[in-house]
Amino acid sequence: MTMQDMMKDPLANIVLMHADDKLMLGHMQSDWTGLAPILEEDIAASSMSQDDLSHALVLFDALAQRFGLSADDIAFERDAADYRCCDLVTVPDDFNWAIALMKRWFVATFTALGIDRLATIDDEDLAQRCRRLIPEQAIHVRHLSEWVIRLGSGTDESNRRMQEALDALAPAASMLFEPPDQSIESTENFCCGREEMFEQWKSQCERTLREANLSATLTLSPRSMAGGRRGAHADHFASQLAEMTDVRRAEPAPAW
Amino acid sequence: MVTAEDIWAALDEVPDPELPVSIVELGMVEHVDAEGEVPTVHLIPTYTGCPALPMIERDVHARVGAIEGVRRCTIQWRFEPPWTPDRITDTGRAKLADHGVTTPQCGHADPKHVPLHTSAIPCPYCGSSQTRLDSPFGPTRCRAIHFCDACRNQFEHMKPR
Repeated sequence: MTMQDMMKDPLANIVLMHADDKLMLGHMQSDWTGLAPILEEDIAASSMSQDDLSHALVLFDALAQRFGLSADDIAFERDAADYRCCDLVTVPDDFNWAIALMKRWFVATFTALGIDRLATIDDEDLAQRCRRLIPEQAIHVRHLSEWVIRLGSGTDESNRRMQEALDALAPAASMLFEPPDQSIESTENFCCGREEMFEQWKSQCERTLREANLSATLTLSPRSMAGGRRGAHADHFASQLAEMTDVRRAEPAPAW
Repeated sequence: MVTAEDIWAALDEVPDPELPVSIVELGMVEHVDAEGEVPTVHLIPTYTGCPALPMIERDVHARVGAIEGVRRCTIQWRFEPPWTPDRITDTGRAKLADHGVTTPQCGHADPKHVPLHTSAIPCPYCGSSQTRLDSPFGPTRCRAIHFCDACRNQFEHMKPR
């Protein structure tokens, strides 16, 4: 079987949606290693990047076995249009901690709901893998939520910076819920209802935001709107992908 | 004829690269299939992002492969049952405590509501319960950092999952 067979499979598209979010997020946010605001958070941010990349690997590996491909090839050898990540993930943060944190929190909360659903599907290998990821992801969501609350309810300045980050990212956040597959019908079965999942995500986010003295209007984008999950990526995705695959293109199949 | 006991004994000599316990004491070995010259060892990762896993895999190949009558060994990583600190043996717990790492008893808690222990874990240095969670992300993926307000020491606590 080929990469193209995998890209036509509805379940593979759902898995790639989460795996690609994690691959790009883990790659981008590792830029903060050594630069996060305090030592403990430097370790935490680096650990979460490490987790995101390994979670991506666990999911890529499930697809690799199913479609007779290698996990590395799935991660690095696809055409840009075959990546299913949401472009919210690759928005540059320009080393603004509020942007980095808010972005990570939005995505992590979404991913937790997604793997929760995948953990109950009628596919034992994939479900087992997702069940392993659930507690690890729960710690991310909890840690990030605490940061949102701590900074949002901190000083006037920290509140202002967090609100600015929220204002910048909230309009794009619902693109997390863009169905990755053209055939929405089949995708819906695995998404277990896009609207229902959005409502869950929204109410979780709003609960934390209230505690943080922050506010945002979170609305679900129309189904017809096509973005990154269907391959119509923003320019910032292309530059991140180019950076991430630079070594591999310079030296095919490198070994450390 | 190589028995499962021979293999378990060999595995008990494979150390965790970052803690003073064996992978058996840590509860990473789920099952050993000893039939024939090519036994299969079923291992469970503590955390999916643990960078020690390839090292452990290499050491298991070397140690089990060195048993007389074994040609080579096969390693199968499994995700179920999931690893929790409840899998750590009593010997393992004692060794970790000596090393300044405390371990929780988890039971079958809902994985979505990770019972991160935020306070009152007895300090491994002074025994005080005036302790609190400092960060859920410690020096390795499986350990959180706690702080003791009584003796002002930091210590590590194995995460519940």
